[in-house]
Amino acid sequence: MDVILNFIGSVLGMTGTYAVLFGGLGTYLLLPHRHGAIRPRAAHGAGLIAVALGLLIYMTYWRPPGLLLPAVFLYVFGATSVIGAVLTITSRDPVASALWFASVVLSTAGLFLLAEAPFLAAGTIIVYAGAVIVTFLFVIMLAQMEGKADYDRAARSPGWATLTSFIILWCLLASIATLKTGEKVGTGIHHLARNRLEPEKQLLRSRDLEAYIGSPDANMTGVVRRAVSPMSLVADARLAEGEAADNPEATSVLVHRPNVAGIAASMYTDHLASVAIAGALLFVALVGAVAITNPRMPVRPSSSDPAQRAAVGSVRP
Amino acid sequence: MPPTDIFTLEVLRDYLLIGAALFALGILGFLSRRNLIVMFLSAEMMLQGVALTLVGFGRYHGNWTGQILTIMILTVAACEASIALALIVILYNRRSSLDVTLWQEIREAGVPATPASLISEEAEPVDAAPGPESYPHLTPAGVEPAHPVEPWIERRS
Repeated sequence: MDVILNFIGSVLGMTGTYAVLFGGLGTYLLLPHRHGAIRPRAAHGAGLIAVALGLLIYMTYWRPPGLLLPAVFLYVFGATSVIGAVLTITSRDPVASALWFASVVLSTAGLFLLAEAPFLAAGTIIVYAGAVIVTFLFVIMLAQMEGKADYDRAARSPGWATLTSFIILWCLLASIATLKTGEKVGTGIHHLARNRLEPEKQLLRSRDLEAYIGSPDANMTGVVRRAVSPMSLVADARLAEGEAADNPEATSVLVHRPNVAGIAASMYTDHLASVAIAGALLFVALVGAVAITNPRMPVRPSSSDPAQRAAVGSVRP
Repeated sequence: MPPTDIFTLEVLRDYLLIGAALFALGILGFLSRRNLIVMFLSAEMMLQGVALTLVGFGRYHGNWTGQILTIMILTVAACEASIALALIVILYNRRSSLDVTLWQEIREAGVPATPASLISEEAEPVDAAPGPESYPHLTPAGVEPAHPVEPWIERRS
């Protein structure tokens, strides 16, 4: 009993719980279905306000990066992507859904840029906004009922779906928010004996892993070196100007590799098998899409007679 | 001393939180919407959330693996979109509707069916635009040409 009460207390003490509550309530009100006697317009207004409130509380978990401009862009792109996501799944009109999804993709591409992935940002915009959205719009134009269809105005058990997905969101939030951002982990040999037996104080960067384990343990260093291949590193650590090479406390600087060349070098050495598998997947999808869109008339066992089969074939539109 | 990096654990957490929100909202859309197109858009949105997480982790750890996995996700998303849209066109040609509940006879054994009457009962009423409808009045000008009056069908049935 005490355990349960403690759990409820800690849940209610977490700020994120209220973000999830407001967000879930707002999304439930925004989802298309009948809200009893409440007029749709009032429900939408209340839902939008609740979603905005939930997003504001959610944003208190975000920490701006050090510089001003990246911080502003991070908040803008993050808020745009979450709001766009809410409106994608709650729009009554599939065309509006597709356009809101395009805004999600664009702001995600902006976040990719902030994480120093310009090639991926361009690729995402080209593939998603350029190809997928346009194809979606083609299909929408091809297969759209006049007016607003019944099924676009009635969600399928919206209450249970909202509950499920926002419980998942709460669990993700609770596990992410407790990431340890405390003191720095010491590196090098002299921290070895102390650090090895204790749990890590924060998430280690994989490029610091070798220094963290230390050179005496040759076996583990070899494993780490195989897992974190030098080809896959984004930046090389070089000694700063005027530092002596034999000084263990020398400051080093990161020299970044060019983005596209680095991705290509890593992709065609470390991840060659994945490239082959992706190519095979694309080929299978091509064959599958062609096979699905041009279905053949099934040949029944009874119509093994060629003349009858020809007759069946000519009936086919 | 290892070099300091401006992409700290706090910034990684921002990316994870945004990715988690996109993923959860994608789940919600996939579970609750009934339009096939919106369902597939929600699935794509879940992929976007995962891609954001991967890029953030790759940037934090300082290697290309996250970006390369995201390129693989783009590949899978392109395959998924092509097959899904081919399926949507086929399904629409069979039933003339994008409603996913029309296909509930292929559900798993033991799952109860949703009666079709629920659709119109639960549907949100359409708000009529306030005010009387008004269209501009255009005065006809010139001589009306002789043209055959023939019925035409806008859409195939």
